[in-house]
Amino acid sequence: MLLQVKNLRCGYGSLEIVKGISLHVAAGEIVTLLGANGAGKTSLLRAISGLLPVWSGEIRINARSVVGQPAWNRVHDAMVMVPEGRQLFSDLTVWENLLLGGYHNPDRRAVMEKVFQRFPRLRERSRQSAGTLSGGEQQMLALGRALAARPRFMLLDEPSLGLAPLLVREVFAVIRQLKDDGVTIFLVEQNAVAALEIADRAYVMETGEIIMEGEAADLIQNPEVRRAYLGKGYKEIWE
Amino acid sequence: MRILDPKFESARSEELEQLQLERLQALVVRLKRNVRRYRELLGDARIESLADLQRLPVTTPGDLADSFPYGMFALPLREVIRLHSAVGPEGRQLIIGHTQNDIKHWGRLVARQLVAAGVTANDVIQINLGNGSSGSFSGYTLGAQTVEASVIAEDPVHVDYQLAMLQNYRPTVLVTTPTNAREIAALLDQRRIDPQSLHLRTVLLSRPVSGLERHALQGGLFVRAQCNFGIPAILDPGFCVQCQDGHFHVNEDEFLVEVSDGELLVTTLAREATPLLRYATRIACELRRGKCKCGRTTAMLVPGKRLDKQMLVHEMPVYEEQVREVLAHTSAANHPTQIEITERRVIVRLAVSDRIFDDLVRTLETVRLEVESEFLERLGIEAVVRLVSTHDARGGHDNGGPAA
Repeated sequence: MLLQVKNLRCGYGSLEIVKGISLHVAAGEIVTLLGANGAGKTSLLRAISGLLPVWSGEIRINARSVVGQPAWNRVHDAMVMVPEGRQLFSDLTVWENLLLGGYHNPDRRAVMEKVFQRFPRLRERSRQSAGTLSGGEQQMLALGRALAARPRFMLLDEPSLGLAPLLVREVFAVIRQLKDDGVTIFLVEQNAVAALEIADRAYVMETGEIIMEGEAADLIQNPEVRRAYLGKGYKEIWE
Repeated sequence: MRILDPKFESARSEELEQLQLERLQALVVRLKRNVRRYRELLGDARIESLADLQRLPVTTPGDLADSFPYGMFALPLREVIRLHSAVGPEGRQLIIGHTQNDIKHWGRLVARQLVAAGVTANDVIQINLGNGSSGSFSGYTLGAQTVEASVIAEDPVHVDYQLAMLQNYRPTVLVTTPTNAREIAALLDQRRIDPQSLHLRTVLLSRPVSGLERHALQGGLFVRAQCNFGIPAILDPGFCVQCQDGHFHVNEDEFLVEVSDGELLVTTLAREATPLLRYATRIACELRRGKCKCGRTTAMLVPGKRLDKQMLVHEMPVYEEQVREVLAHTSAANHPTQIEITERRVIVRLAVSDRIFDDLVRTLETVRLEVESEFLERLGIEAVVRLVSTHDARGGHDNGGPAA
């Protein structure tokens, strides 16, 4: 298991958001976490990344406990997070954003060449400030910045958020390629259809708890998932 | 023999425990949301380790029977694509629903057993499980589909026709009950048919038998015999896999097993339509852990005796209450009777006085035919009526009818 989470509880102030969650991601898998707004997905991801203090429970990356360790320490485990809303340095150029992504990496220039090969549009825009990119390009830059760190494990928070359907397809195609390159991915998404199509396994989270776990192919068939996440047409099946 | 799902069947204990914990936590959340009975019983119970399971309430067969038909379903009926019944306490009916995913998983779990028995896409499977086993028939069919083996979709009752099928269709695998396997072996012997003239390679028996009996059947049919151990209210077949070394390995990615006061309790971890928490199987059991020679790491189960009064009559599960109910539908209800339930049939001893015996032979013959036909039609089992004098009928299982 690359990531192992056991009975994780965390929140803000006295408000418990993540209520004793257990999950795991094996090396080479794409695992997706589905859930509506406010389910606690991002809080869970922030706790795994070390950005939100853990109240109780265990988080292990490569069998090593990381609870209480600072977020930057995760980079040594080749773990990188692509946060929701990209969180780019909008005043810096594309090139500078990528440089920052590979800051700890001595051969970052070689890695950046690979990033440009994967996202040719970024090469074209390399001198342009990140804030002037379109939504899709910004998402590509966020992914590229993460790749500059040469991750073996990526946490992706809502990569499809705010993107047109065509761009969503493009982003998910990139995620699938990353898996083929041996990167393990934990994908938090609201776009259940797209996420389940590329994922190996999935968890469904509601109000801070996991209500379902299984193979992605099974969850596409699951009546509760279809009702809650796969569009209006499925509402009528719930009587 | 090959292991179909080494990821689960040969999982490291830490990985399996993590998966079980995740599934158990999600199950408890779902049960609290979707099943009223569990919502009331579970309250704000939280699971932090597998050991916490012991604090959760047990579901008895009686609970399942009380909620008949759909009270324990966790999904609306329109999501359920298959309903199977099982015999519950005192013969009461239990209903188990399956969603599309449940059926898919069932096929996969049965396929694990088939693969462990060496079944491949090149095999032809004959299934003779007899009356009242449509659930098991479905399970084996689903498993066969998963391994892409051919299934003969016929289940003739008479052993003559079964033998004809073995000769005509040339199946390589026979799925049947131990009783039926014995009958086929006896028929082969009686007709001096060499079992090697059939194409059978493997026999899968519907329930565990002793090592001695297994060897006898292997010799009589010239096959390799493997057994199934299933629990109709949970899954039968598909609950566990018997390996080549004879151990029953529980499919622990889908079922959490524990032994409480000698009884096997099962929690369904992945079932969608009818998930059950700590279902009391009424079967004595012993669990062993450790890696098996076959390579599987899952718990090994040693099934023991039934802890309730269920008996098998010609492989059909029967309770004495059912027998009494059938008798109550006949005119034998007006006579004192003794009931004896054997592996083969129900024997009803009807007490008559010497005087009545002399006077009413024809009437009694009618009662005899009526009893025998009612048992066959209502329970699918054979019954014989024996007339005994009132003196002989004293004691035993008196039905409480008026004394003759």
